[in-house]
Amino acid sequence: MKKRRAGKTVTRRDFIKGAAMGTLGMALYGKGRPVFAGAKAGAVPFAAENPQSVVVLIRNVKAIGAGDKVDAAVVQDMIDTAVKQFSGEADAAKAWAKYVRADDTVGVKFTRCDWMRVHTDQAVIDAVVKRVGEAGVVPDKIYAQDGGLPIAKCTALINVPSVKVHTLTGIAVSMKNYINFAPAPSKYHSPSTNLGEIFLMPDVKGKTRLIVVDILRPYFGPGPQINPLHRWNYYGIMVSNDPVAVESVCLNICQAKRNLFKGEAWPITPPPEFIAAADKTYKLGTSDPTKIRLIKLGWDKDILI
Amino acid sequence: MGQTQVPDSGKILAAFPLRQALPSEASGWKTGREDQVFSRDNIFDYMDGGGEIYLAYDFQFVFVREYVRDDAPSIVTEIYQMSSSQDAFGVFTHDTDGDEVDLGQGAIYAAGLLRFWKDKVFVRILADSETPEAKAVIMELGTTIVRAISRDGDKPALVKFLPIDGLKPKSLRYFHTLISLNAHYYLANVNILSLSPETRVAMARYVKDGSEARLLLVEYPTVERAVDANGRFVEMFLLERFEADGKVPPKKLEDGKFAGVARSGKHLIIVIEAEKKSVLDWLTKTISQNLEG
Repeated sequence: MKKRRAGKTVTRRDFIKGAAMGTLGMALYGKGRPVFAGAKAGAVPFAAENPQSVVVLIRNVKAIGAGDKVDAAVVQDMIDTAVKQFSGEADAAKAWAKYVRADDTVGVKFTRCDWMRVHTDQAVIDAVVKRVGEAGVVPDKIYAQDGGLPIAKCTALINVPSVKVHTLTGIAVSMKNYINFAPAPSKYHSPSTNLGEIFLMPDVKGKTRLIVVDILRPYFGPGPQINPLHRWNYYGIMVSNDPVAVESVCLNICQAKRNLFKGEAWPITPPPEFIAAADKTYKLGTSDPTKIRLIKLGWDKDILI
Repeated sequence: MGQTQVPDSGKILAAFPLRQALPSEASGWKTGREDQVFSRDNIFDYMDGGGEIYLAYDFQFVFVREYVRDDAPSIVTEIYQMSSSQDAFGVFTHDTDGDEVDLGQGAIYAAGLLRFWKDKVFVRILADSETPEAKAVIMELGTTIVRAISRDGDKPALVKFLPIDGLKPKSLRYFHTLISLNAHYYLANVNILSLSPETRVAMARYVKDGSEARLLLVEYPTVERAVDANGRFVEMFLLERFEADGKVPPKKLEDGKFAGVARSGKHLIIVIEAEKKSVLDWLTKTISQNLEG
């Protein structure tokens, strides 16, 4: 009988051997923790010929108070500090001016998922919208939305996702946040390998100026619906312009949290193959930790990375 | 697992007995927005990006009622009507993290979320945040629903072939398709086991004599499909040559753990991540004997 293993078949054994999804696969299956901080360059846009990226992670334990109430002022300060660090500017207005101009039409694409409840927090959305407005963009040219965002009208996008482990895609951060820009979003759910092609759609390509990740209260459980046991206060905001690097960092954080929760390896499943494809096939950024300069600011207790 | 036609939302709301059983008020919480119902046709209107997990079972519809009270967390009650008690049990096993409570035919509570199953129904009751009062109302609503369901349903027959001895608490999962397997345990990027709505899968973890192993017991509609899946697993996962009439011995894999497969009629007994070969052998032999009755 002829053997049936096809060339593109990837099994759990490949992950165990460390032969699948590179360092991402190793992160899932406990083959060593990645060492970020490879890139030495500043925060320039990711380019295939210079595949280095910067991710700024800032944490502040005062961002979330009693009853999990988010402190908007603290969040604003965290975002300002992170964007200043990312841009290399000492002033928040000058920092934001690097990413939006007064004549832009700006889409602030956040995550709103009523049934799942792991939204981008309103304080994060408000902080971003405020700074975009202060950069000179008039209110009627700022579209802060999830579904129905008029992407064709927008000249610039600020990607403002929440962070959650996802039953169908493995993880959902900045890349899955754009899934409803696609005419048939469910096409990218299972398998999610080609999620990166959404970033190359004519109305989307090249418009993302900044990614501001709400990692205040991420979700690490199997989903699809929330189990409150699987949500934790991480108190973080992440800023970058590389969606692949962002996914890679968040994947490592969530994987570490899952292992801690169970007291044993609990690999994120299905493996988010779209991250590796976004790197290698669609060249949207880098998932290689040696090419990601992770700048950590603020509170570092239980940072997990 | 068949696909059954369901009536439209209005008819479901009018006739759904569990809706009639629910109170309009509980300890000051009153019904909020209008009751809703979502069927297989529009489940994505309710949980875009999450409905697939329910559609992987023979889900019929979900009834949703919200309770609200000033200065208190809102409480959402979701009643999932399945076409079989086996699939209600299966959905219940999707996420078992939490504390077991005595309600229905199996219930788990965790931080403001109650999940339970009884007969053909799976229920989730979730508070925005947990307070002692909200927890009391959640349990009260759960008890009301359980009392309104007159009979118990059968667990999947497949589950009865699994040994109780050594079964890790809350590790049992029951499902049909690849999307559910992938949500629990990644085997491959292709459907090695040829899972489909017609297959039945019981997955569980065991500890025997201090050593762990994971079991997948799969029932196929026909012997021929079981033989084919057996071959696929042997050749695509164990990476050994398969002859339909021959047996492939268990194999020690890269992580030092053992994996093996045996077929009994239309059932495949797959043991993976066995820390000792003796555990694999014990599980395979015990289940084979159970299947042969």
